[in-house]
Amino acid sequence: MPLTAAGASAAPAPLSRDSQLAAEIKGLVVGGERDAARERYGELVARQQRRAVRIAYQYLRDVHDADEAVQDAFIKVFTHITSYREDLPFEVWFTRILVNACLDLRKSRSRRLRWAVPMSSTGDLPPTDPVAPEPSAEQRLVSRERTNEITAAVESLPARQRTVFTLCHVAEQTTAEVSQALGLSEATVRVHLFRAIRKLRRLLQREPRR
Amino acid sequence: MKASHLSDDRLIELCVLDEASATEHQHLAACARCDARRVRLQRLLDEVSDTATAAADAAFTTDRLTRQQARILAHLQHEGRPARVIAFPAGRAPHEPVVSRTRPGSRWIAAAAVAGLVVGAIAGRFGHDYSFGRPGAARVIVARTVEQPELRANGSTATVREVTASISDDELLNQLEIAIDGPAAAALQPIDDLTPRAWEIR
Repeated sequence: MPLTAAGASAAPAPLSRDSQLAAEIKGLVVGGERDAARERYGELVARQQRRAVRIAYQYLRDVHDADEAVQDAFIKVFTHITSYREDLPFEVWFTRILVNACLDLRKSRSRRLRWAVPMSSTGDLPPTDPVAPEPSAEQRLVSRERTNEITAAVESLPARQRTVFTLCHVAEQTTAEVSQALGLSEATVRVHLFRAIRKLRRLLQREPRR
Repeated sequence: MKASHLSDDRLIELCVLDEASATEHQHLAACARCDARRVRLQRLLDEVSDTATAAADAAFTTDRLTRQQARILAHLQHEGRPARVIAFPAGRAPHEPVVSRTRPGSRWIAAAAVAGLVVGAIAGRFGHDYSFGRPGAARVIVARTVEQPELRANGSTATVREVTASISDDELLNQLEIAIDGPAAAALQPIDDLTPRAWEIR
């Protein structure tokens, strides 16, 4: 997977723990120690998993699809670990693979929905874990309304803007990292990010009712 | 210091990308309007990311993540190994001779079903040939017109036909034509118009 010059020209930063781990796993796979590599990979999965599901869920808005995309991405990463370049942050490489997995799944989902009989609209809502203390019914209603507004606003962003916004703001990646992950120049990433924030502000900015 | 207000784009940069310069810090400290704009934007962005994070975290509980990790590792365990050859028919080793594993009882049932099918097919082929070689004399149920006294009493012209004997195909068709031309059939015309013809529905 070639990366753009935008990312390659960035100043070399010290490798993160995840990048070191990925390099170590690559070494084990190359050396034929696949079982040991797999064990180490479990650690890497655990470290990246939460971030990965947040990105995938934000992108796909469906628990099962997000689950599948994340699994696909992790499996792909391990099977292609020998092509990982140790001079680049692992998070960037992984994010790129994950975003591609999400895109693939989104495409296949739209194909599937074209032929599917519509089911209950509430069927695929994620189960919400109750948190203590329980808010009042009114608070819950207001909170749910606001959550729906925010979700709808983010959904209304064009795909590229949504991806950039998600990676920068939800996955907390820098614009340089996002430019590497998406194969865009950093200036383009910034433009998409600005547009996304401007649109979100237009749609959402008001003092929340409390 | 009379600094101009911060632009919207600069406020976005300050919220998501850059640190404010010393001059900007001074301006934000002095200008309540710009500071309020920055705080509102920052709060909005935090709200959006908190909402996204909370939704994902609610959907993916720790337990679910553990199961997901187990599935990934289980999948990888089979990665790179030669594919397992599944014997077909199922359960037979590749070099095991083919022997029938069906029980005698089920073989009898299968044989009886086949015999029944054959008998049914033969009976179906010859069962309707009642004429025994007399063309145009198929046995049909035919009716003789009789007038019912109670219908006459009501002033009705309808008649009731009584089944009597066998007639030829020609006689049957003649009688059908007479019946179709009769006044009682006219009442059925609208239904006939609604009924599609065989050639129309092909």
